[in-house]
Amino acid sequence: MNNQPTKNNNLLPLAIIGIVLLVAVVGGWLLYKTSTTTTTANKSNSSKTPGKPPVSENAAQLYASAPPGAQPPHLLGSPTATVTVEEFADFQCPTCAQKHPLAKEIISLYGSRIKFVFRQMPLTQAHPKAYDAAVASEAAGLQGKFWDMQNQLFANQQSWSVAPDHRKLFEEYAQKIGLDMQKFQNDMAGLSAKARVDADMQRARVLRIQSTPTFLINGNSVAFEQMNIESMRQLIDYELQKTQSSTQNQTGSGGGSANSNTSNSNMTNSNTTKNK
Amino acid sequence: MSNSDIINQELGGKKIAKLPILAAIIALGGLVDAIYLTIHHYTAVPVPCGEAFDCGAVLTSQYATMFGIPIAIFGAIAYFTAFSLAILTAFGNRLTWMLFGIQVILMSLFTAWLLFLQKYRIEAFCQFCLISAAITLTLLIIALVSRFWRIH
Repeated sequence: MNNQPTKNNNLLPLAIIGIVLLVAVVGGWLLYKTSTTTTTANKSNSSKTPGKPPVSENAAQLYASAPPGAQPPHLLGSPTATVTVEEFADFQCPTCAQKHPLAKEIISLYGSRIKFVFRQMPLTQAHPKAYDAAVASEAAGLQGKFWDMQNQLFANQQSWSVAPDHRKLFEEYAQKIGLDMQKFQNDMAGLSAKARVDADMQRARVLRIQSTPTFLINGNSVAFEQMNIESMRQLIDYELQKTQSSTQNQTGSGGGSANSNTSNSNMTNSNTTKNK
Repeated sequence: MSNSDIINQELGGKKIAKLPILAAIIALGGLVDAIYLTIHHYTAVPVPCGEAFDCGAVLTSQYATMFGIPIAIFGAIAYFTAFSLAILTAFGNRLTWMLFGIQVILMSLFTAWLLFLQKYRIEAFCQFCLISAAITLTLLIIALVSRFWRIH
């Protein structure tokens, strides 16, 4: 790529270029190595120190005192489970759609052993249609079909996020899952669906959620590289064990025995979405 | 050609030209940015992202790779090339400043395309991509300034 000096035979510029190339390649490689070893170290240690606890003591207090978000929350599993998995997501965010099957898998694996909560976190500045999508899902929720609409929105993200009239597509999805259309349209325009979205956003702001999707397992945020089924299972199993040994009134279930059946057929419909 | 001749005259042999040195330093910044994004691509460690941005959307989008290779690698190669050409110019090479100009114009065109994708296709920005765009723009300004400045 770079030309050899034709006139000036000074080796200094070539030496500088060579050094920069060396530093760039070696430095890049070392950085890559450190990031991957941290990742694997996290994974292998996760039975002892689960999650990346970005939540220090202060943040744990923050988690306990943060506004509750929309009430009642969109909840699957058991409301009284000792382990809460809370997802903050944006319907227009590609990574959220990509991780949606993961959330469904966790729900079907753990069933009533965990409390799974979905929170709205539309990144309104980056995603102009995300807020409307959140409201649409809440409007469906007012008719008891939040999870169906959630599936529709994630599965069809690539269509509605580029459509000039995305609300029309939301209405199509609403029709598809069998909503009362008149009520859906009213709720899209009304305040109660929006108030729920705003309440969740308020919670996300106070918890200083930085990116979507964010999964909190009993308040500990899951690092992006741990957003896969193996790592999430380790983290959840760890929390289950911890709470079991402290309360001692749960039926025993060893680490990794995540084969409890599910009662949440809503979430496990076939509308998964793949993000390129 | 006349441009590099003028630079050469001004350089007076081994004397170092200031503008190419500045360009080299700035290109180095671009190289660091691109390497950072390349590492991000392969480790999937999330980049710190401001509220107005959605780095995940941009960096995991279908446009983040070309022929299966992350765009950040092309960026790193481009910045390294620009750096090398600027360094060679600084030490008095004849031809390299013109090549630097061509290189920077090509980079600017590609950057414009990436900005278009972020605005209209992905509908999200990532600040590391914008830093890269700003660096390329600065290099373009340096290349243009050197051309018009030195000629009159």
